[in-house]
Amino acid sequence: MKIWDVITTANSNLMRNKGRTFLTILAIFIGSFTIIATSGIRTGVNNYIDAQLDSAGGEGYIEIMPEAMRDMAQSQMGFGGGDEPQEYDPKKNSAEMRAINKTDLAKIRKIKGVQSVKPARNVKAEYITSSETDKKFVISPQALPSDRINLDIAKGKDGKPDGRLVSINDPTPEIDLLPGYAKALGFKSDEDAVGKTVKLGVVESATMQVRTVEARVAGVLNKSVINMGRSWINTALEDKILDITYAKMPQSYRDQVYFATAEWDTKLGDKGLEDIKDGLKKLGYIGMTMEDEVGMVKSFFDAIILVFTIFGGIALLAASIGIINTLFMAVQERTREIGLMKAMGLGKGKIFLMFSIEAISLGFWGSAIGVAAAYLAEVIVNPIAADTFLSGLPGFELIKYDITTLALLILLVMLIAFLAGTLPARRASKKDPIEALRYE
Amino acid sequence: MNVIAARGLKKSYGKKSSRFDALRGIDIDIKEGESVAIIGKSGSGKSTLMHLLALLDKPTEGKIGVNGKIASKLKERQVNKLRNQEFGFVFQQFFMNANDSVLSNVILPLKISGISKRERKNRAMEALKTVELDDKAKAKARDLSGGQKQRVCIARALVNNPKVIFADEPTGNLDSTTGEKIEDLLFSLNLNNRITLIIVTHDSDLAARCDRQLHIKDGKIKKDLAKPKASVKKGGRK
Repeated sequence: MKIWDVITTANSNLMRNKGRTFLTILAIFIGSFTIIATSGIRTGVNNYIDAQLDSAGGEGYIEIMPEAMRDMAQSQMGFGGGDEPQEYDPKKNSAEMRAINKTDLAKIRKIKGVQSVKPARNVKAEYITSSETDKKFVISPQALPSDRINLDIAKGKDGKPDGRLVSINDPTPEIDLLPGYAKALGFKSDEDAVGKTVKLGVVESATMQVRTVEARVAGVLNKSVINMGRSWINTALEDKILDITYAKMPQSYRDQVYFATAEWDTKLGDKGLEDIKDGLKKLGYIGMTMEDEVGMVKSFFDAIILVFTIFGGIALLAASIGIINTLFMAVQERTREIGLMKAMGLGKGKIFLMFSIEAISLGFWGSAIGVAAAYLAEVIVNPIAADTFLSGLPGFELIKYDITTLALLILLVMLIAFLAGTLPARRASKKDPIEALRYE
Repeated sequence: MNVIAARGLKKSYGKKSSRFDALRGIDIDIKEGESVAIIGKSGSGKSTLMHLLALLDKPTEGKIGVNGKIASKLKERQVNKLRNQEFGFVFQQFFMNANDSVLSNVILPLKISGISKRERKNRAMEALKTVELDDKAKAKARDLSGGQKQRVCIARALVNNPKVIFADEPTGNLDSTTGEKIEDLLFSLNLNNRITLIIVTHDSDLAARCDRQLHIKDGKIKKDLAKPKASVKKGGRK
């Protein structure tokens, strides 16, 4: 029998019991679809995060925190702490250890490859307002730690960016607004707000009185996961805010910081970065690049995706048992036919091949329909997602496929189906023609 | 010339105490163009003998030669090819794919031998013409009457131009008038196409139409009767 005839015969055999074939394909479809859709979401999310990371730049910039700070955060979150009360250890638990003092800042500065260090001071503001409105809005300002960060500035209708990122060393106090703030503060548009003056209310900690400070709007930011709701300010504005917050208080309060940021020489490459991290570790600090931070989010997300993929895998496993069952039934039903074909000289190998191809076809159709449905889901879900829960994150395509993964998945499912089919196919090929013809 | 020859054929089933000897030493020579009836009661071993001669089963002892080749020395692939090209089969229960068309049922052996699509259709139509069922080529096999079904089966046995047709109770499922027509068809093929006929039957009338009758009892040939000379068909034997 020619191979093409084996294939067409196998496929027309599948059509003999349409209901059974359909149900088997449906089972394979469910497993394949789950795996494809979750991998599509994974690709979509990762693509978005990578794109955000690329646009944010952040090369050559590292965040530093004391190890004691991380330990405390972890034990408060329930990691590692256990139920037992933890014994006080001045080396680990003292407030002094959780802060970064001036000598340590100097030591960090001396680590090879570190170009500058900036303590992240505790900048707080009560509200933001402008002369255009009486309303006040909540704001969480954050000093831009490095001009190596390149945040996403919103683009106006003309396609040009609305303003720019605050310039760190500009003597004029500057702020970048979050989306929506420009209109709330009474400006006509994002573009209109650029260059205008806003007022921030800051509490004087010693007296609890609110005083205001003025700042120039440098630009308007796009929403993004990396931004995390922070309004970035330059050093001049940071100093003005700190002047108010710590007025009438000892300098030591103002100098107490828990985080710092450093710029490092990117020419040293990944190896240099590792050395810097090691150096920080020796001093009792942890260094994290933006990629490291995003990596944590990613690995958490990947774990969720993994769970779904395992579900899909289990569904596929169940489906392959369905294939075995379907084919065993087919072998049983076609016992006489197998006997007849063997009597007429069809070899064992061809019979095995015929049933294997039936299995592979089931796998192919199940996964191909899964791919088609997943594609359809992309076409339908992505625009809906972009209009609803992802509306704040422009450029986020929830589901994204790449063709090689899809093709590989179809091939993999076909392989699984083939393996599942070997048992019944073997039984069919081993049938004794005389016995088979006698079978009632 | 002998198409099929067997020496010292024995076939046993089971082992030791439960051992059953279906055939206990059989020698046969079947000449080209001959028509041979294998007759005997059920359990006599006649079907087992046919299965061995048709190379569907292997003897416990003894040798079978087909066209001068020793079957036990052939590889499985060669045996399959031999069965496909030299033998045709007609069964009592027809064994057709009921949901397929008459034509595709007849095509099956040609498909197995790997003949191109166009040629196999032509040859199948020719075979159907021989059994006068070419007008039913497109009908579903299940819609045919018993006699028509058996004629399709004969067309299927014929389609590969075999040297030998094995027929296992070919008229067993048919009424006597229809059965007679099937017999006529088989013997006309034997006469006109010089196809060797090996018919397993317990119908003595059918057996009487054959050139030779092999009576099997308890796994042995009890009688080997030839037809009286006067009525030997021309071309039946040298």
